[in-house]
Amino acid sequence: MSRHSLLIVEDNQTLRRLLEYRLGKVYEVRSAQNGEEALVLVEESIPDLIVSDIMMPKMDGFALFSLLRQGERTRTIPFIFLTAKTDDTSRFKGLGEGVDDYITKPFDIEFLLTRIERILERIEVHQQQLSARIGRDFSDRLLPKSMPQVPGYRTFFYNKPFGDGGGDLFDWTEVRPGSYLFTVGDIMGKGLQAKFYAFSFLSYIRSTIHAMLEQTDSPAKLMHRVNEMLVRDELLEETFASLLIMRWDTETNTITYANAGHCRPIFVTPDRSGIVEHSELILGLDKQEEYTDRSFQLPPGSALITYTDGLIEQVAENGEQFGEKGVAASATEALSTDQPVQALLKTLLRRSAEPRFSDDILVFWLERQPVGESADVPPATPATTAA
Amino acid sequence: MSFSFQSIAPDTAVVRIGKALDFRNAAEFKSACQDHIQEGTRNFVLDFSGTGILDSTGLGAIFSLYRQLTPLGGQVVFAAVSRPVQVVVQLTRTYKVFRQYPTVEAAHEQLQGRTASGSRAGAA
Repeated sequence: MSRHSLLIVEDNQTLRRLLEYRLGKVYEVRSAQNGEEALVLVEESIPDLIVSDIMMPKMDGFALFSLLRQGERTRTIPFIFLTAKTDDTSRFKGLGEGVDDYITKPFDIEFLLTRIERILERIEVHQQQLSARIGRDFSDRLLPKSMPQVPGYRTFFYNKPFGDGGGDLFDWTEVRPGSYLFTVGDIMGKGLQAKFYAFSFLSYIRSTIHAMLEQTDSPAKLMHRVNEMLVRDELLEETFASLLIMRWDTETNTITYANAGHCRPIFVTPDRSGIVEHSELILGLDKQEEYTDRSFQLPPGSALITYTDGLIEQVAENGEQFGEKGVAASATEALSTDQPVQALLKTLLRRSAEPRFSDDILVFWLERQPVGESADVPPATPATTAA
Repeated sequence: MSFSFQSIAPDTAVVRIGKALDFRNAAEFKSACQDHIQEGTRNFVLDFSGTGILDSTGLGAIFSLYRQLTPLGGQVVFAAVSRPVQVVVQLTRTYKVFRQYPTVEAAHEQLQGRTASGSRAGAA
């Protein structure tokens, strides 16, 4: 974390040097000899807090304070006045709200440090709460409110953000009756920024899908288009994302997908679980990258799990990350349970080094229910690696 | 903690990534690379020996570097890739974009246009 920046405004050179020295041990400190100089420095970059004398030549502390209170960007800078005994402290009342503190000279520097620290702490807590609130709001919009309901299938969605969370996204849309398109992705980065990019990116994906559906419902073609936009668009220049686009045709029990460097789905049957092999380059790196569609069928009693990297980066008892294989290995026993996602997470936690997850968790579980006697020809199952 | 840069040619630098490149130091990595690009570095050899953590923020920082250097005719290559880093590279399929070399020396020789056959021990 970077250090807080302070601006000291004091015309007395000895005191100014002393403050620079003592406060400089804890904070990034700049200093000015009067209000005019201070304004120039504030213009350059806004400090986290100002400590200012009152009586100064050219522009005094009160004038500086009032000017800063008029500026949109400078209005909220916390302000501590250093006052002499002879100053008329009644004038503080006239300044109204916003003077965070005043300290009478001569003062103990430790006392000043404590005051500064307390004000900065208070602001930080406030900002964190605000970030968390905005983050939750973004999260709510990045995640679905409902799941498709299809006879013969069970669908489960689970999401639990960790801290401010990251850029996980999940979305689905019914492209025509009985046919659903899913997008599962992860925007690189942490915190509110990643969330913001995830939000913009999801809007891109949605509009791309919407605009292209007339011509195609091929995940690979959609992926290609999204990638092109991501590489070209200057606004999203620093955005890189892994993305899985998957079409589920319920009539034929078929899954068609294209995978741009996202954690590979896990295919689960009562006997074994494996990783759905095919994947291509992550989005945002290479405009030329070709994405291809792969298809497979979901036999009765099997399930497909899609998720984000929080699961595979979870650290197992042996000190290593679970990886896709570790997740797959924990999936079989969750199949056909009442709450398969909960069962899977429980198994993973039991095998984890720590009894909690340390990242965002997002899991989508799509399960085809077992049927009685079936005369179907054996379906084409996906190419998987056994776990 | 900071990254150590070593110039091995006028336009080529080796960056020792160290233990981790993640959300904690990715910004520092980016700005350090910027300084070197300003000074004319076009090829970066990222030395991942002993790197235990490469998270998505760290990988994103490398991607930004790649996107910036490609139009300038520069390259980003990986050397001595550790197992945890290899996992991330496999997952994101980025081995298609970043060439990998067993050692920094092998990467250096390749960037110099020489063949890697006769290279020192460790290079295969």
